[in-house]
Amino acid sequence: MPSKPLLNHAMRIGILAMVASLSSGGSLLARDDDEDDQGRPPQVLKQGFESTDQLLGDIERAERGPKHSAWIVESSRFVNVPHRSFQPDVGDPAFVDLPVNLGIIKAPNGDLTLYDSGWKQLAYIFDWNTSCCWHGIRDQMRAIGLNPDHVVRIIIGHGHWDHSGQLSEFPDAVLYVQKEELKQIDFFLDYPVRFNGGHIRAVNTVDPITGNQVGPPAQACARSPVCGYPPQTVQEILGKVLAGKAQIVDGRHEVAPGMIIHPAFRGHTYGSQLLQVNTARGQLVFGSDTYSSWTGIRDWFVANIQQTDTIQQFLAYEKCYVLTSKQNSFNNCISAHEPISYTAGYPITSNWWNIPGGNCSRAAELTLANGERTHVPPSPDRTPPASCHSVVPPHAIHP
Amino acid sequence: MIFKGVKRTPIVLSLMAGLLRPKALILGAVLASLAGLVAFAINREAGIGSSPTSAQRTAEPRRPALTAAEEQYIRELWPIHGAVERSTLRMSLGQIFYTTQDLSRAELGTRVKEALVSYQAAETRLHALEPPTSLRSEHLEYLSAVGLFKESAAEVLKMFTDGRDDHMLVAYPKGQEASNKIREVGGKFWPHEFPPN
Repeated sequence: MPSKPLLNHAMRIGILAMVASLSSGGSLLARDDDEDDQGRPPQVLKQGFESTDQLLGDIERAERGPKHSAWIVESSRFVNVPHRSFQPDVGDPAFVDLPVNLGIIKAPNGDLTLYDSGWKQLAYIFDWNTSCCWHGIRDQMRAIGLNPDHVVRIIIGHGHWDHSGQLSEFPDAVLYVQKEELKQIDFFLDYPVRFNGGHIRAVNTVDPITGNQVGPPAQACARSPVCGYPPQTVQEILGKVLAGKAQIVDGRHEVAPGMIIHPAFRGHTYGSQLLQVNTARGQLVFGSDTYSSWTGIRDWFVANIQQTDTIQQFLAYEKCYVLTSKQNSFNNCISAHEPISYTAGYPITSNWWNIPGGNCSRAAELTLANGERTHVPPSPDRTPPASCHSVVPPHAIHP
Repeated sequence: MIFKGVKRTPIVLSLMAGLLRPKALILGAVLASLAGLVAFAINREAGIGSSPTSAQRTAEPRRPALTAAEEQYIRELWPIHGAVERSTLRMSLGQIFYTTQDLSRAELGTRVKEALVSYQAAETRLHALEPPTSLRSEHLEYLSAVGLFKESAAEVLKMFTDGRDDHMLVAYPKGQEASNKIREVGGKFWPHEFPPN
């Protein structure tokens, strides 16, 4: 056993080393590219910082633009997800169904913008009972009276496969994605080689047969840096880039009058982005998985922690509170996976209906403008999910 | 405590006196706890998979138990799949960053050459596998996907000899088709590879 004086020396050396490392942190710092000229020290990562004044200014700016109509549709639905894996602070009920909502925004000239584009990986989704109710967006749009050929742009809240699928279904639409989102995938592809002797696999972190986690430290695919980006999804983004139909965005970006992208870096993934939309009920803020749970925003709980910095997720919640501060507050934050979507419990989605022929997927009318008539059928089918029968759509390989 | 209105016989009273002994009380408490735990577990298990909010779905196939040969094949394909995915992502992102002028032409060239080598290695390893008859069609599908990836990489490489960037456009459909194929096969073999995000 080491002697007491020896231990004292070791402790002193340790404290000295710690102080030295804290005071010489320059090697960790990188150039801060954020457009923040307020004299803050440089940050390691892009922060997507926007001050309250800047956000309040964007309310005024968007209000000078036109008002938009907006809907959400359910691309598909994850079923029986352990609640605490989605919201660690909320466990009742123990299992929940999570819709995968995407936004459809209509401008006065009829142009349509999609916020997220759902998914398309049918074999994965259906063969082992992990979800239900998938239906192609184009058909869903037609079924609710919107012309998919009028989609001029697709803004993806982040690049995960369940939110950026079906891009190739809209060859003429311009894709908006944050550069940070693409950079993080690229960077972390080398993660195991560079930093952990190959033990953590950025792609493939589960046992091929059992699905159990593999490799120290125990880390499932969902918690690894680039899980969620299969080659198929990134190929579709590449297709947009090569076709000249992509805008690689770097932070805040005004897409069109009354429509502004706000960065939410690491609110869910490294390049997550929000979309502020001017409407008759104030500013709507679509948040994709940064706003996975609307009750999470309302009650200040984190949700759907993936490549997330929980502080950044809360700051992104705060951006919604500021942007909606003139009207309706957090009620105007639009969530991707809120379990109580399409119910009165999430008021803005309460005017919902089952999409005709839509395989039990649902739509909700959020707000109307410019004389747009309601798209809700006169006698909407509101058969509750438990009584609705969905089917497995055809796909290439069956078990 | 005596419950009013209940007439007890001497036998009942004797039994109750026995049951009220400390040891019997402890034993009873333990048994009641165990019964409660069992009831809770049964109730909880019964609840899994039958969420009242779930949409009813038509009967779908559950993953059948794998034979030893199938399991071995899927295990051997797994690392090949990882290498193919990684190479494809690096090449796709390389082309994106080259187009956005965030990556030099030389760096893109390096990535594409590495991808081509990786696809060739994957093809060799695939040929060495012996898939069971039941998985032969998926094996051939995967092999054809890797072939398409190879062709796609070879097409992109031409831009470094003739200087024409439009080879990326020509190469793209093959890469996309191959990506769709490995996603479909992957969805069957590794349903947990990409969990809900």
